Amino acid sequence: MALPPPDPQFVLRGTSAAVHTLHFSCGGQEPDVPVLFSGSENGFVHVWNLKTHRVDTTLDGHGRKSVYCVETLGGKNRLLSQGRDQRICLWDLAEGRTSVTDSVFTENVGFCRCSLLKVAQGRWLMAMAAKALEEVQVLELPSKTSVCTLKPEVGAKLGMPMCLKLWQLSCGSQPLLLAGYEDGSVVFWNLSMGKALSRLVCHQEPVMSLDFDSEKAKGISGSSEKVLSIWSLNEQQNLQVYKTHTLVNAGISDIAIRPDQKILATAGWDHRIRIFGWKKLKPLAVLDYHSATVHCVSFSDHKNPRERLLAAGSKDHRISIWSIYTQT
Amino acid sequence: SVLAATCVKKQELLQELFSELCACLSPPSSSSKPASLSEELKLAVIQALHTLMHSAYGDVILSLYQPSTLPLLGFAVSLLLGLAEQEKAKEIKVSALKCLQVLVLQCDCQGHRHLDEDEAQQCGDLFASFLPGISITLSRVITGDIKQGHKTTVAAIRLFYLIVGLVMADAQLARIPKTKEKLPVEQSRISELMVHRGPDWSKSTAEKLSLLLRKMVEVTSVHPHWKVRLELVELVHHLLRNCSQSLVDSFSHLLKALVGLVNDENSEVRSRCNEVLQGIAEQGIVAQNRALADVLSENLHSLATALPRLMSSQDDTGKGSTLSLLLGYLKLLGPKINIVLNSVSHLHRLSKALMQVLELDVTDVKIVEDRRWGCEGACGAAGSLQHGVQKGRGQKKYFRFFTEEKVFQLLQQVCRVLGYYGNLYLLVDHFLGLYGESGAYRKQAAMVLNELIVGAAGVGVDVLQEREVSPNMDDLKGSIVTILDEYTDQANWYLVTSIDAEEIGPPPAGQPSGLAARPGGVRGSVLLPPPEPHVTARAMNSNIWQICIQLEGVGCFAAVLGKEFRLLLLSALYPVLEKAGDNTLLIRETALGTLVDMCEACSYDSLQGLINENSDYLVNGISLSLRQPAHQPRASQVLDTMLRHSDASLLPLVEDVIQDVLSALDQSHHDQASTFLRVLHSVMTALVRWFGSSCGREHRHGQAAERPSGTLSQGRPVVTRQEVERFFLDYVRQKRMAEGDLPDAGDEVADEVPPLAQPEPNSPDTEGETPLPSHAQLAKGVMERCIHLLSDGDLRVRLRVLDVLELCVTALQPHGNHLLPMAHRVWPALVTRLISDDPLAVLRAFKVLCTLAQKCGDFLRQRFSKDVLPKLTSSLLSQAPASARAGPVYSHTLAFKLQLAVLQGLGSLCEELDMGESDLNKVADACLIYLSAKQPVKLQEAAQSVFLHLMHVDPDSTWLLLNEVCCPHRYEPPHVSLRPVRLGGMGRQRNE
Repeated sequence: MALPPPDPQFVLRGTSAAVHTLHFSCGGQEPDVPVLFSGSENGFVHVWNLKTHRVDTTLDGHGRKSVYCVETLGGKNRLLSQGRDQRICLWDLAEGRTSVTDSVFTENVGFCRCSLLKVAQGRWLMAMAAKALEEVQVLELPSKTSVCTLKPEVGAKLGMPMCLKLWQLSCGSQPLLLAGYEDGSVVFWNLSMGKALSRLVCHQEPVMSLDFDSEKAKGISGSSEKVLSIWSLNEQQNLQVYKTHTLVNAGISDIAIRPDQKILATAGWDHRIRIFGWKKLKPLAVLDYHSATVHCVSFSDHKNPRERLLAAGSKDHRISIWSIYTQT
Repeated sequence: SVLAATCVKKQELLQELFSELCACLSPPSSSSKPASLSEELKLAVIQALHTLMHSAYGDVILSLYQPSTLPLLGFAVSLLLGLAEQEKAKEIKVSALKCLQVLVLQCDCQGHRHLDEDEAQQCGDLFASFLPGISITLSRVITGDIKQGHKTTVAAIRLFYLIVGLVMADAQLARIPKTKEKLPVEQSRISELMVHRGPDWSKSTAEKLSLLLRKMVEVTSVHPHWKVRLELVELVHHLLRNCSQSLVDSFSHLLKALVGLVNDENSEVRSRCNEVLQGIAEQGIVAQNRALADVLSENLHSLATALPRLMSSQDDTGKGSTLSLLLGYLKLLGPKINIVLNSVSHLHRLSKALMQVLELDVTDVKIVEDRRWGCEGACGAAGSLQHGVQKGRGQKKYFRFFTEEKVFQLLQQVCRVLGYYGNLYLLVDHFLGLYGESGAYRKQAAMVLNELIVGAAGVGVDVLQEREVSPNMDDLKGSIVTILDEYTDQANWYLVTSIDAEEIGPPPAGQPSGLAARPGGVRGSVLLPPPEPHVTARAMNSNIWQICIQLEGVGCFAAVLGKEFRLLLLSALYPVLEKAGDNTLLIRETALGTLVDMCEACSYDSLQGLINENSDYLVNGISLSLRQPAHQPRASQVLDTMLRHSDASLLPLVEDVIQDVLSALDQSHHDQASTFLRVLHSVMTALVRWFGSSCGREHRHGQAAERPSGTLSQGRPVVTRQEVERFFLDYVRQKRMAEGDLPDAGDEVADEVPPLAQPEPNSPDTEGETPLPSHAQLAKGVMERCIHLLSDGDLRVRLRVLDVLELCVTALQPHGNHLLPMAHRVWPALVTRLISDDPLAVLRAFKVLCTLAQKCGDFLRQRFSKDVLPKLTSSLLSQAPASARAGPVYSHTLAFKLQLAVLQGLGSLCEELDMGESDLNKVADACLIYLSAKQPVKLQEAAQSVFLHLMHVDPDSTWLLLNEVCCPHRYEPPHVSLRPVRLGGMGRQRNE
């Protein structure tokens, strides 16, 4: 008999709006307090102190429009947030500052989260949905120069990009992009060539989220239907379906693979968080706490694996923090 | 006397005079007693000698202290000693001793030339030969009969320590050459008398002196006169200062005496003793002197070993002195304490002794019984509580081995001093070990730990010297976190403290009959007779105390850490609040005290501030606990406490979690409903309290309307004239209004109209489509749940639901648009309760009905007359014969209470619902028989109140009805008295 699923270690309340995105920054040394960034529907980014479990700072930079992506650039002092006001803001949070240093106007009306990749010290690539409906634009940060624009072939009818994942095989090698589209397909892009290498139709419905494990060259995507799709990238750089997993309830809004590639978590429309073993996609646990759709899941980047946390943000305005499978 | 004026300058003259005087005192040749002389002479001679010594000029006097004069000196000394010992007269004794003191050049008075080192050394050598004689004689004097008077003893003690201090001075002994110097041949006889103070000599002398000292200390430390004890302190002081090396063996006794005198009853002795100790500690005599430290730790060890035995055999004063001794040792050891603590056996002994001494008396059953009966009625206490607990500082504990508070304070100090000097990690670790080791030690260990931390922080600890390094905050915090974790561990925090069925689990079925017979069960939660008590009262008492001690500990930690404790609130606040909602009085009060401590420490201005500011932590705890059935009762306790001690500003913060409670209730099994109902009840009580101003106005008005009739009916069975007059005046006014003749503002009639006659304003239905405020929404949510639970199988649940329902109705009252539909939905279930349920439930349901009627007014009229009224009237009618026949015991039965409640409520009910005529007739008919004199008085009064209300609704027919029955009975008087009023007041009524 398996153990009953645990309770959340803690629940953060006080966003007073649905939580759409979460991002941990816990890698700092001792005096540095681990923090969690959350972006919510009312346009605020909250900085949670994970020691006191309270909001340290509240950032208001998106004109009360929903914030659906937050990322850090390096440490916890540089933050990127993307909101429905079609802007991506870069924040300087060092020494208590809360100022927007730069912003990018995306002109995109969708809600595709951007994806960041560090390519060198102080240089990042950012992929984001562009103004044109089916296009993805890649910028270099902080210079904001456009690296390339990825246009699907004419007549491909992919629809809007829904989710993006920038990655590279190893540091210094060329950056690659996985993009999930509205028609349910995942496309593998080569940035330097600016061309699609492979396309795989994994879902009947729009791809809501995907995550990719570059070590195993395997990725997973979820959509609004009941199926999780695991696909792999073979030597010829072709995507192929590896496995599918059918869920009880339809709708996955977010997927995250833990940095150590052992487990993954999904955020379900059925208010539940599901934990799977990444290797065989063995269902491990169903975390039932929220009383509304779970919008996002995120794993922390603690140096010590024992301290690693899982956070989930939900429409019920709460963020649940879990300490789960830290031993494995 | 001549001598006093002169100044002896010549050496020979001095010697001559000296020997002459001595000769006066000396016995005639052979006999050793100086007895033959008269006392006056002796005294005069001694005084003369005394004066002689004083008047001798500087250098001249030194000539007396040459080895050559040793025999002469010896003679004088032995003479004086003899006098001091054997003489009867106090005066002689004292002056002999004083003289002796002068003789050994240690006079108190001013004006003596200070001896330089060499001279002192020489004198020391000289006196060394007298030392045995002097010390033995003096010790005999000191330990002699108490009747000799304190002065003698004091003088003897002083002389003793002066001479010993001189001869055994470390400084002198250190300078003594290894070998005896050769003296000139002619003095060889004398030199035989001289003593060489070599190491061997000093060692053997010290041994002998140690024996003497021990005896002296034993006697004098308990001497009744304080001056003697003071002198003893001086003795210790002097010897410790001058002979700390030579007399090291005696120190255990000396220190024991000193330490024991720290808590002397005389303040002078106490303060001097403290000074001396302070001095000792400051000079670091102990700290530097390894030997002394060893002596002390040895003493400590033996004392710790003996402590339990002493504590159980001595009386309270004895215990006090034993403990102050222990405390004194610890204080003296100061920073050296760690040497002792590092030795396993020492630490073990000490801790075991503390464990045994601190054992609590847990036989008092009252603590277990003393509990809050239900949670109703306590809301009023929330305000007064802040004052009540303010500085209660811990509950009075009852110990097995002592009763006096002072003893406990000493023990507290012992622990604090340990914490102050000792290695905190070591101590905390050790006592936590004991805490976990056995249940028998747990309470004591917790107590010690609390005090250790307090001491380590340097709070309330009384020490002799500063410690070298004060521990930094992090270490302290580390220890506190460790202890806190241990305390709040499930196994140590959730102990069985009651056999209350409500907390243990669902009550066994089939109890209602027992309940019905319980007279006290009308208000307040009804507790079932306890199931088999598998936990003894003793164990529960012990558990209660343990929790209390732990709670006190948390309070101490907060006080120690101050604002730093805010960080620990995350883990500490929830458990404490949990206990603040506990049913056991003692625990609850202790927890509240702890909360007040926390408030102060973390500088929140009130308990409410503490709760509000940290509500996020609490809410989180509650919400997580709600997910586990086993923790639900506790979560509800916490919420209960929060609500009880906070105000409306808390609502937005807890709204979230109240929703959680509701959804948990929806998902839970029915057998857990009672837990949730408690929460719902406290939620609703709080809502009504907080938002009472908006919804309570009419409520109060409604009560005001009831009150006069109530007091009236209770006061006298006769309707007063004024009442009737008022009524008719009012009637006239209403009549006029009905005729369109509105009274002016200045109308004197209107002025006299009492509030009770004002028409009940209808519930404001003007609410429109405005969104419901959150508290009303909650009330609505709660009410909805109540509907489902109204038909619960368990009577207690039903009763509780009815209570909650009543509160819901009150809270929802200003929002008629929402209340009425809810009332509609509640109705069927409520009717079932009213018609066919246990009398208790009927009673409660009837109360709800009355409240509902107040709020909903005519909305209920139709339903009431159709569904409930027939049943009520018929039951009244059928019960009437029974109550008419019954004896005095009847008034304690449930049936009676039901009748009474119905009768009391029915009148206002009719009025509020504005019942139709046929219904009124039914009511009147049913109540009429209760006016009979055969009915119990209370029922008669209640029935009268019904008619009073009926008069408000329809005076004419009521009057008619009453008139039809009135004549033959004793009930005539009211009507007889009514008539003249009516005649005098209004003629109109008469015409009908």
